[in-house]
Amino acid sequence: MAKTIMVVDDSASLRQVVGIALKGAGYEVIEGRDGVDALSKCTGQKIHLVVCDVNMPNMDGITFVKQFKQLPLYKFTPVIMLTTESQESKKEEGKAAGAKAWVVKPFKPEVLLGAVAKLVMP
Amino acid sequence: MGWRPVKNNSGFDSKILVPFGLAGGGALGTMVAGWSAWGWYTVLWSALLLAAAAWCARGAGAAALGGGEQAMIDDYLAARERFGDAVLPIWCRHIENSRNQMEEAVADLAGRFSNIVDKLDDAVHVSSHDSGKGGGNAMTEIFSRSETQLGSVVTSMKSAMSSKHAMLAQIKDLERFTRELRDMAEGVASIAAQTNLLALNAAIEAARAGPAGRGFAVVAQEVRNLSSRSAETGRNISNRVGLISSAILAASQAAEQSSEQEDKSMQSAEGMIVSVLGDFRTMTDALVQSSEKLKQDSIGIQGEVGEALVQLQFQDRVSQVMAHVRENMELLPALLRDNRDRYNADRVLEALDPQPLLHELQKTYAMAEEHAVHGGDSHAAPVAAAADEITFF
Repeated sequence: MAKTIMVVDDSASLRQVVGIALKGAGYEVIEGRDGVDALSKCTGQKIHLVVCDVNMPNMDGITFVKQFKQLPLYKFTPVIMLTTESQESKKEEGKAAGAKAWVVKPFKPEVLLGAVAKLVMP
Repeated sequence: MGWRPVKNNSGFDSKILVPFGLAGGGALGTMVAGWSAWGWYTVLWSALLLAAAAWCARGAGAAALGGGEQAMIDDYLAARERFGDAVLPIWCRHIENSRNQMEEAVADLAGRFSNIVDKLDDAVHVSSHDSGKGGGNAMTEIFSRSETQLGSVVTSMKSAMSSKHAMLAQIKDLERFTRELRDMAEGVASIAAQTNLLALNAAIEAARAGPAGRGFAVVAQEVRNLSSRSAETGRNISNRVGLISSAILAASQAAEQSSEQEDKSMQSAEGMIVSVLGDFRTMTDALVQSSEKLKQDSIGIQGEVGEALVQLQFQDRVSQVMAHVRENMELLPALLRDNRDRYNADRVLEALDPQPLLHELQKTYAMAEEHAVHGGDSHAAPVAAAADEITFF
């Protein structure tokens, strides 16, 4: 059975691009437009990994990860931050929030898929 | 315009600094002159004091601008504010609209890419399955199965032909029996002729014996009758055997002709089956080759798609930069309004300071090239993600 990955990004084109890469590797993808939208979709279904942008309207990625990690069902679900931000201070924020990896855009599909394969829940 | 900004960016007001400096200098000079001799020093300090007074009078004059100049400044500031209120929202809307259009177009483009990739995968999957590479092996399996089944048909036909040849040989063998029967019938006729001759001799001898041979003459007559009937039966047998022999010969010839035709048909059918299987094999090989080529092309296209996915992400970066600039532009009307409010409050015309706006813009930067461009680099291009652009925590 295919594993499910949630892609959270305010850019529709980026969600598409990430979706193409993930679906091509056999993953199922659910999308969130921002942190609020993504949290509204965390309603008990199994999510094996989250790929999340940082700068988003309504709720940014760091806040989303903090709140997502508070949900008991998703406490151990790994999160990869996928962002244009490359500052160390931002990375530290992501790490503190509970993210497991930080990938800088523009990403090569094989780089993202490598990180996903390494972190995705069994 | 007929005025100049009188407050510099350091916050020190030159209107205040200059007269205070001159007056302070004059006072100091007066004090020094008080301890020294009268003369040129006193004239100098007096001149300084006069100059200070004149400067103060000029400042007071500026603070109390004429009604026309004041109205002109107010009009200018109001017009500048209206300019900002009118132009900047439109510029921002254009930027936002362009950003949205670009976002939608690239999202649509990415969606089409996704469809192309899906269809390509499906085509490769179906082709691979049909052409029989790897586990699917359908086409090759069908060919092998057809070859086996048609081979069985050819074998069965050959077996049937072999049986027919055996049957033909047996029919031909029947001719030998009919010849033997004909010989036997001829033997019967020969025996009947000899018996008749014996009976005739017996009748002659019976006649020669006179009354004593009368009974023997009757026997001789009966033997002659029997020989006559035997000769008749022999002729009948010979005739029947001749008919049977003719029928067998005709049947044998018909079977032989039929067998020859079937042999030819069999050879033709076998040749056609070999030809069809050959064509089928050629077609299967071509399909396997085209499938393999499609697979190789697919791998190449997937590589190209991977590169395209990297390039598509630059739209997101451009969109972010445009959003940052737009958000910063949206601050300008408020800055103009604040500048005007401060003038209305202090009646001091301050130069617009770009630094707070630029500082706000700088705070929104997420990408290294934004900082580079801000610092004066006109062509700061980002590099595509490298292996070290991933950090695991």
